Amino acid sequence: MKHLSIKLWSIISISLVMIIISCIFGFLFIHGYEGISYEFFIKEPNGMPLGSEGGVYNAIIGSICFTGIATIFSFVFALSIATYLVFYEKNEKIKSFIRFIIGIIAGVPSIVLGLFGYSFLVVYLKIGISILTGGIVLGIMIFPFMEIRFEKTLLEVDINLIYASLSMGVNRTYTFFKIILPICYKDMIRATCLSASFAMGATAPILLTGAVYYADIPNSIFSPAMALPLHLYLLISEGISLKNAYATALVLIVLLLLINSIPTVLDMIGGNKIVRFIKRRKS
Amino acid sequence: MPEGSTSGFLRRREKVNIYKIIDKLFLYLIRFVSMISVLLLVFIVIFILKESLLTFEEVSFYDFVFKKGWRPISENPELGILPMILSTLYVSILALGIALPLGVGSSIFLSCMVNEKNRNFIKPIIDLMAGIPSVVYGFMGLLLIVKFFERKLSFSSGESILAASILLAIMILPYIISTCDESMIKILKKYESTSKALGVSKYHMIRYLILPTAKKGILASVVLGLSRGMGETMAVMMVIGNSPLYPKLFGKGQTIPGLIALEMGGASVNSIHYHALFASGLILMMMLMIINVLFYFIRKMMGTVSEE
Repeated sequence: MKHLSIKLWSIISISLVMIIISCIFGFLFIHGYEGISYEFFIKEPNGMPLGSEGGVYNAIIGSICFTGIATIFSFVFALSIATYLVFYEKNEKIKSFIRFIIGIIAGVPSIVLGLFGYSFLVVYLKIGISILTGGIVLGIMIFPFMEIRFEKTLLEVDINLIYASLSMGVNRTYTFFKIILPICYKDMIRATCLSASFAMGATAPILLTGAVYYADIPNSIFSPAMALPLHLYLLISEGISLKNAYATALVLIVLLLLINSIPTVLDMIGGNKIVRFIKRRKS
Repeated sequence: MPEGSTSGFLRRREKVNIYKIIDKLFLYLIRFVSMISVLLLVFIVIFILKESLLTFEEVSFYDFVFKKGWRPISENPELGILPMILSTLYVSILALGIALPLGVGSSIFLSCMVNEKNRNFIKPIIDLMAGIPSVVYGFMGLLLIVKFFERKLSFSSGESILAASILLAIMILPYIISTCDESMIKILKKYESTSKALGVSKYHMIRYLILPTAKKGILASVVLGLSRGMGETMAVMMVIGNSPLYPKLFGKGQTIPGLIALEMGGASVNSIHYHALFASGLILMMMLMIINVLFYFIRKMMGTVSEE
């Protein structure tokens, strides 16, 4: 009797979850497909009220810009801090302090980060609402996630490889670039793409720091831009156009899926010599 | 790596020195960038603290947290965020109550009841759920859940705490499933052969071995789900109705992130309103921290049976 209930419980819950997922995706794809045409991708939002006609070209470009800046910003810092923590810093107290701070930032809700970005970057530093500020706030948001992933992959590198390399008299920098990075880079790309997709879907941090209701295609990093999530939010909350809202949501989801498929595609194209060598030795 | 140097001892030493300099430079570069980022992070924390503590010069901490009434721009500003705090807690705990049984059940199914091939098919689909942006969730919630409440159950307004909780439950499901699943897989790998050798049936093993041992993993997923749910802004904001009332299951409410997101644009910098928004953000962070510490101690108190 007990056993049957466990079986029932798990089967019912997994089927409910699958139903929910297929509902969401089915609904989006069926309704979104009607609104999508070639024009939707290459036209600017038009009509009165704005967004009821035309496409989402500006928003797509804006979203890509935000995500790009956020990813670059956070990648540089996350990679350097992860490397420093794993290979260079020996003081345990400093290490745990840095990890503690990263943990705090990971716990800050994204809207509070947006508030910080608005008041510090936009108002105090007077950068203004721009791609740069929005990108930085998004970068701060995805930074802890990226750093923790990077640290994990770096820690998984076989320490004997590093010892062997160092005892051959190879210097640390060369070891890092030629031994450690080739082993880790796939996991790193995977983590980067995952965080990039988080950044692209986030609305709260760019609500007042970077994204605006309508803007032309940005010509520098100091100009504001449109973003897909905010555009979608405005289309729904102002009740402008349900058809375009479906299509925008579908475009957003497809973009995220594309970003997430980058590592798989890279995997298929070809591996690295060293990685293949090590894998062959292991097997 | 220096190679093929035939021109004698001296030349080789020079090369080694160049490499040493590169080494040093790289170390300094990395140390510099890391220091900048740590300083930036510390600065963010200090900035948020500083801006929010200014609120408590005007209102006492007790009034801010335990009083009702939110009129930040009137002559005598009233600042009490108790309804928002309660709504935030209500929504996320209810969402967890909906999501946890589903999540644990699904992870039992994923870890113990399917073969490798089907698992590799189902798991990515569930992970895909975590990648859907919150705005899209809010959109679906508005169109499916709220509309369902209004049409089928003839509510006057479908935007309610319950709608927000159901939506939030769907949003935190993938996190709960992946955390529980991870710990269950670990346990299974450790004990499966022993259990099979003893002739214990599969469901007996699930009931008496895996579920009790996975307690810690489940607890971790609870913490993760709660913190995700409490910090969630857009999706909840779109379906909860946004009015600062005490939460009722079918009534409207407002969460702290929603409050900040809605009023952030209207608050002029350095006004009491602006500081109060920062302070409510700080309260939210404090709530998250308290929950984390609480669960940390519960975890410590729970027996010594570990999953590792």
